[in-house]
Amino acid sequence: MMPEFTYIRAKSLKDAFSHLSGEGARIHAGGTDILGCMRDKIFDVKSVVSISGLNDLKGIRETGEGLHIGALVTLTEIAENPAVNGRYPALAQGAASASSPQLRNQGTIGGNLCQKPRCWYYRGEFHCLRKGGDRCFAVAGENHYHCILGGEGCYIVHPSDTAPALIAYGAAVHIEGRKGKRSIPIENLFVLPSQDVTRETVLEPGEIVTEILLPPPAKQMKSSYRKVRARRSWDFAVAGVALALQLKGDIVSSARIVLSGAAPIPWRSKEAEDSITGKILDTANARKTGAAAVSGAQPLEHNGYKIQLFRGIIEEALITISAA
Amino acid sequence: MNGNDDGFYYLRGIPVPETPLPDQNPQPWQKTEVVGRPLPRVDAYERVSGNAIYPSDIVLPNMLYAAVLRCPHPHAIVGKIDTSAAERMPGVRAVITGSSPEADFSWPYSPEMKTKLFNPHCRFEGEEVAAVAADTIYQAWDAVRAVSVNYNILAFVSDEAKALATDAPSVHAGGNKLKIDRYSRGDVEQGFADADVVLEETYRSECELHTPTESHGCVARWDGDHLSIWQSTQGVYSIQATVAKIMDLPLSKVRVIGHYMGGGFGSKLGADKFTIIAAVLAKITARPVKLFMTREETLIAAGNRPPVSMRLKAGVKRDGTLTTLDFSAVGTGGAYPAGGTSLVDWLIRDLYLCPNVRTETTDVYVNAGPARAFRAPGHPQCSWALEQMLDALAERIGMDPLDLRLKNIPSYSQARPGNPPYVSTGLRECITEGAKVFGWHEARKKTAEPTAGSHIRRGVGMASALWIGGGGGPPSTIVVKLFSDGSVSLNMGASDIGTGTKTVMAMVVSEELGVKPDVIQIENADTGTTQYATPSGGSKTVPTESPAVRAAAIHVKQQLLALAAVDLKTDESSLTLIGDAVVSQADPERQIRIRDISGLKKRGLIIGVGYRGPNPEGKVINPFAAQFCEVEVNTLTGEVKVIRFLGAHDSGRVMDRLTFDNQVFGGITMGIGLGLTEARILDRNQTGKMVNRNWHDYKIPTAMDVPANIISLPIETDNREANTTGTKGLGEPVTIPTAGAIANAVYNAVGVRITGTPINPLQLCSALALLRKEE
Repeated sequence: MMPEFTYIRAKSLKDAFSHLSGEGARIHAGGTDILGCMRDKIFDVKSVVSISGLNDLKGIRETGEGLHIGALVTLTEIAENPAVNGRYPALAQGAASASSPQLRNQGTIGGNLCQKPRCWYYRGEFHCLRKGGDRCFAVAGENHYHCILGGEGCYIVHPSDTAPALIAYGAAVHIEGRKGKRSIPIENLFVLPSQDVTRETVLEPGEIVTEILLPPPAKQMKSSYRKVRARRSWDFAVAGVALALQLKGDIVSSARIVLSGAAPIPWRSKEAEDSITGKILDTANARKTGAAAVSGAQPLEHNGYKIQLFRGIIEEALITISAA
Repeated sequence: MNGNDDGFYYLRGIPVPETPLPDQNPQPWQKTEVVGRPLPRVDAYERVSGNAIYPSDIVLPNMLYAAVLRCPHPHAIVGKIDTSAAERMPGVRAVITGSSPEADFSWPYSPEMKTKLFNPHCRFEGEEVAAVAADTIYQAWDAVRAVSVNYNILAFVSDEAKALATDAPSVHAGGNKLKIDRYSRGDVEQGFADADVVLEETYRSECELHTPTESHGCVARWDGDHLSIWQSTQGVYSIQATVAKIMDLPLSKVRVIGHYMGGGFGSKLGADKFTIIAAVLAKITARPVKLFMTREETLIAAGNRPPVSMRLKAGVKRDGTLTTLDFSAVGTGGAYPAGGTSLVDWLIRDLYLCPNVRTETTDVYVNAGPARAFRAPGHPQCSWALEQMLDALAERIGMDPLDLRLKNIPSYSQARPGNPPYVSTGLRECITEGAKVFGWHEARKKTAEPTAGSHIRRGVGMASALWIGGGGGPPSTIVVKLFSDGSVSLNMGASDIGTGTKTVMAMVVSEELGVKPDVIQIENADTGTTQYATPSGGSKTVPTESPAVRAAAIHVKQQLLALAAVDLKTDESSLTLIGDAVVSQADPERQIRIRDISGLKKRGLIIGVGYRGPNPEGKVINPFAAQFCEVEVNTLTGEVKVIRFLGAHDSGRVMDRLTFDNQVFGGITMGIGLGLTEARILDRNQTGKMVNRNWHDYKIPTAMDVPANIISLPIETDNREANTTGTKGLGEPVTIPTAGAIANAVYNAVGVRITGTPINPLQLCSALALLRKEE
């Protein structure tokens, strides 16, 4: 059951900031993650500050800068938006593949980026490193779904299906807090355990993601998101890959390859990008790119399969996109 | 074992009375008007609209809510418990622990093993330590969290293979070996010598959880010294007997009501610890108490399908004759005796004709939640091994897997003493008719063609099965009442666990009395108002209850005709019931409407009583099955997509085509869970706690994992000798062959045998990569 908490429905961003300054204050947007976190008692919550009524954070609009997606836009809205589907198909695919229809109707893009990890030790009755304990239970435990890249001390995987696509498109994330606004490349939003094991994003307490800005896509860009899961709905990525490739004829002139289910953050694989850049997009090179992506992988006892899985999914995604 | 003995696990530990022989011995139905038609459920509107009151919907005046403090460790001794803070909390009305005199009851984990209700030696995560009743469920949980307990944490063992090591922590004094069962016939070594091909393989079936939609729980209320319990259950009489025994109450003072229930799959066959806890809390507080488990609690402490490691060595001749099956298995029912290897060798013993068979099953204790009967106990696990082995043998001797099975079909039960014949066996027809409708040979031919270029491969597979039970039998007592206006009431003790029992029984009444099923009022599953019934389990409810319902309806009809004969001034033997009138067969002009019969008007009511007669001596009544499926495997990622399924099932007469098909779809869905997605995962190396105790991490299949294309193909065998409705059970056989059929289809697609459930990308992807390297 829930701990006792107060619920505040913010009237404005400013109002939200003032309430969020209190100790134990947490943001509520779609509520799909915070509800579970509270029920599982992952952290103390004294007040829930709902921003769900802030219309400024809703809607998708286009300007010369690109496509602006409000933080409160739901995953369903993104998955069904014609502009997103037309120009940023990887994002539409990522949003559509997250969770279940009910949760996509409720869950927001801001929440999807800022959600807590799904590691079953973190979510369960285990006082793990990320919760202030002294060890990561995944190291010697049931680490089937844990990371093979970027793990250091903590071996979560980042749960977002939209973040890999947004990174592949070079999106920016707008952040606002009491002290003002800032905009950062979304790639810089996420925090590795080696940097700070207790946080997943660079958001300071009281800061809110307000908007995502997708730059206009380059011409000749092909992009996609592909996800493998242990069941076909209502499941996080066991392995996923977002691709954004620029092609000159048959040759890949530049590439962004970002993995989900691989690392504690959405994992941009420079090795994979380097492997395919300047090459013909064919099966042999696709295979090499998959191998390059996992060249630095350090699997745990039960997740070695992910090396083969990422090789397979990257190869498949590259072949599929070449035929598209 | 004989033909009338399928009442094993669902009757364990409860008394089963004998009922009188039926007065009726009606001839089998020739042509039916109602039975066999695809009729919607009689309570469909109530269920779909939310009008149906399930036990979890019960709200009584002044009712309290209870919550249970469960041991967070897999193995611990409960030391000092401090409840003082909890007792002072707002709304808290009672806190009980092992030292509360009111809670000093013993709990029978099995007839041989009893512990205290609050057992100071907790042997699994989730064992009950204390309980609270409060004004609201939130207050109850707050208070549970405020109870402080000193646990002396002990070493634990999670893994059944490790439990037998000499240095393994002991779950119980005396070691972790619970029992070894052995069976043999013929000469296994001779069988190997006679074989042209001998194969040996190990298999594993992971622990699967029941996950019924409605969680486990009850409401308990005392009126003076009368205890009423509303519980989500498969058997009200089973609960009544256990509660009366534990609390030393006369049966007449324990009333158990379970009209609707939201699924059990074997995990709700009887009383639960929470039944007693709720009754105790209700007694102390003199208020009704509602106690339902949370989803997490049901996943750790409300039963499971036992995990089992199996080894099978088999021999076959080139012509497909099976010469020998040598099987051993180690399984665990968790921390208490719970049938960890129950029936896990039955298909080895009895499904295929084989002269030389040896089985050895070892049931061990581990520090995990006790198992409960789970839809066809033992069978899907055994099928997982046996059906994969059959396919491997067929491949080695160059035979179609279908033909190998057809070559070895028994007409009698080999494993029961005296080799009694089956009343009916549709196994051959299930395989041949199923193959025809599925298009087996065409599909196999297609998958054998080279698929150059694509990394997606198709495969088809099949498996067949029988279920050890499904014949039903006495006792059953049914009361059918005919009111003066011709409408009818049906009174039966059995629970409708979602299979459509109420609908099927109403159809039987309708068949005999001509009334429409929707004007039949049904009173069921209430020890206060209905007659004794065994729990709805073992796929025996239709074959048990429907003949008794038929007898009761006929009893009503006989009395009705006798009363009509007085008005019509004729002999009752010349009368027949047509629609709402009694008509003379000799002179159809001579007739009277039911509502006009003066004797009925005077009495207002005719009461018919029906009993279930015995099954035929020396014969076995079992359902048979074959399932076929087609899958698509992504060779780069190890993803398996089930494209289509066909279930061909011989369960005797089809009573209602809609509920029949529902069972087939549901059983296949559950089998897809076992085969492709589900497994309980314990933190075996560190804490022994279950890590995937929620509906995201414990992965039951979603609608996306189950194909829209499932064909249900009934194989209606002549089963008249079995009982007066010609029925056999269906609910369990439908889930037995599913996982094995999928494994065989995956092998057909990509040439990889996955011998441990579930076949997910985690396993298959690595295996496929290995295969590529070998190529």
